[in-house]
Amino acid sequence: MDPLLLARLQFATTTSIHFLFVAVTLGLVTLLVGLQTAGYLTGKPVYERLTRFWGQLYVINYVLGIATGIVMEFQFGLNWSGLSRYVGNVFGAPLAIETLVAFFLESTFLGMWIFGWHRLRRGVHLALLWGVAITAYASAFWIMVANAWLQNPVGYEVRDGVAHLTDFGALLTNPTFGMAFGHVVSAGLVTGGLLMAAVSAWHLLRRTPDYALFRTSLRLGLVTAALSVSMLQGFGFAQFGPVAQLQPTKFGGGPDRDALVTDWTARFGPGDWEPPVLSNVGLGFMILIGFTLGAVWLLLPLLWRDWIIRLKVPLWLILLGLPLPFVAMLLGWIAREVGRQPWAAYGLLPTAQAVSPVSPGLMLTSLIGFSLLLGALAVTNWVLLARHAARGAHDPALGRPPAPDSDAHHQPVFV
Amino acid sequence: MELAWYALLGLFFAAYLVLGGYDYGVGLMLARRGPAPGSRATLTALGPFFLGNEVWLVAAVGILFGAFPRLEGELLSGFYPVVLAALTGVVLVTAGVQLRSRPASATARARWDRVVVAGCVLAALGWGALLAGLLQGVPLSGDGHVVGAGHLATPFVAAAGLALLALVAVHGATFLTLRLPAAEAPALARLASGLVPAALVAVAAATVLGLLSDRVRAAVARPAAAVLLPLVLVAALLAARAALRRGRAGTAFAATATALALPAPLIGAALWPRILVSTTDPAASLTVAEAAASRPTLALLGWLALPLLPALLGFQAMCWWVFRGRIDGRAPVYW
Repeated sequence: MDPLLLARLQFATTTSIHFLFVAVTLGLVTLLVGLQTAGYLTGKPVYERLTRFWGQLYVINYVLGIATGIVMEFQFGLNWSGLSRYVGNVFGAPLAIETLVAFFLESTFLGMWIFGWHRLRRGVHLALLWGVAITAYASAFWIMVANAWLQNPVGYEVRDGVAHLTDFGALLTNPTFGMAFGHVVSAGLVTGGLLMAAVSAWHLLRRTPDYALFRTSLRLGLVTAALSVSMLQGFGFAQFGPVAQLQPTKFGGGPDRDALVTDWTARFGPGDWEPPVLSNVGLGFMILIGFTLGAVWLLLPLLWRDWIIRLKVPLWLILLGLPLPFVAMLLGWIAREVGRQPWAAYGLLPTAQAVSPVSPGLMLTSLIGFSLLLGALAVTNWVLLARHAARGAHDPALGRPPAPDSDAHHQPVFV
Repeated sequence: MELAWYALLGLFFAAYLVLGGYDYGVGLMLARRGPAPGSRATLTALGPFFLGNEVWLVAAVGILFGAFPRLEGELLSGFYPVVLAALTGVVLVTAGVQLRSRPASATARARWDRVVVAGCVLAALGWGALLAGLLQGVPLSGDGHVVGAGHLATPFVAAAGLALLALVAVHGATFLTLRLPAAEAPALARLASGLVPAALVAVAAATVLGLLSDRVRAAVARPAAAVLLPLVLVAALLAARAALRRGRAGTAFAATATALALPAPLIGAALWPRILVSTTDPAASLTVAEAAASRPTLALLGWLALPLLPALLGFQAMCWWVFRGRIDGRAPVYW
């Protein structure tokens, strides 16, 4: 088999799974910051209970984000050694910054936040969650800087066939970066908001205890989803301009595209320099889903006098709509990345040149092994998430107070 | 400047072996079928440190990619099978430890325990094999690529993998001696010091096989550093055993931590100034300077990342300080 195809399939699989989890992470952590801050400021116990319940779902979801993220990081070296060899001087920098400045701190803070309930002062504990959220956004920022550079390489010069960094500022002002970052962050918020609304809707439909609690999170989730879906659409459409200008081969034909293909043929030799025909079919569906999600706005007036709960049908609609942001995210991601083909770095490094000279057998082993492993972990994780969501907020393990009379216990209490 | 980044890379990987090392050692202890301590207590001992420990690996690979991109590509793809094993292990441990106590049923938890144990074994074997593979050189061709993966199939690589496995087991048991309630410390200290002879045998076997290997002898530029490595390991293990017998868990932990911290810097020193030594074409060897990113990149990373280094270490230290001491009735339980 063709190692290039195998390496691409593996990257697509890992990244897709990664995306499904980190979007929820990004959305939920923002909502958690709101909940815990509200609890800190008002002192109302309901906010602490909300933070523990949603925090537990957040922490379970986070596991797969890390697991797939580590595999992604290693994959650059394992399967795409050409990327580090030819463009590592430039592309590696934002990734290194992400791990050191963002992810390292995010994980350290999260460990302390999970175990810091009833142990740290409330202000410190809240500050840790703020730290987790800020570093999560910083992670997304640097990853999107790196990705935007692959879409539109800037701020470099090629000497001896290797790209060298000349202007780091250009990476940050890259036209393929800003709007895409906003788009991804909004997508995370829509997903997190809708997840919160859907789980709450399920509890309200089932008439489980904690009506007031789930009523609050339904409202919070829905308003967040509505506000961010408009941002999502705005940032999405704002990208058509720069993409059409900088990546003429991505979405459709025209003289620019033909001129660029002619130019590449002259510089890199004859070859198929256009993305696969079907690469932007998903984009249409994604836009369709985006408009459908915009209908969340129609549900907001029903928050008045809790009509949304009394009518029940809106709750069902929210539940049914839960898969939509996940599907849209994958479609949008595929359009962005497959539309970049056949380039690893657009117009600079062909994908075929970026792939590692590793035997197809090893690569196939890796593809099958990691797809099965991460797929199984993802399904397990979702089952656990669903069970914990259904269990309700009466006593999540996260933030459970220690035994009241600690002198009598020399052993932790395990439940 | 390359040297500073090389030292930083070494620091992060060494810190990962020390901190991640006791994660894996503690994880291995889940394989024990004894009354006390149970799996939950064992994982509670790890508790708040776990996420902060694993992340040193991610940061080390980040530095590798940002500051040594060429090395990153050739190292990871040239050591494909062992990196695959280590990576699988890391993923299994990461998921296993965090998800293990989410299901309520005892059978599901026991299944997750086995996942964690398997992950710990794979991770320790994989990283041990990778370090040994560096020490024995790689078939680096003239165009700078490692040819094939067969170069890893040597007894030395296998022995080094087993040696690291034994070392993390001792390290993890020592950590538990230090961290679990005092009532359980004597039994754990006996377990840890009972593992020391196994680790000594594994280290001795790896040393002998390394000395017998032509490739290792040819690749090592500074034999002093390479000889120092097994000596330090043996000394640290003996010191740990002596301290465990006297009930001084803190000293023992410092000794096992030293044992895990030193392989990375000593291997770096033994190969210096090269990092990937070619067994087929001496001229094709990759030096640290050649592997490094170009000046502007290193300068940028230096300006952005280095001022934050105290913050990174400070927050890690905060975590150790806040959750220091033995776990007791007030210890938060989550994993």
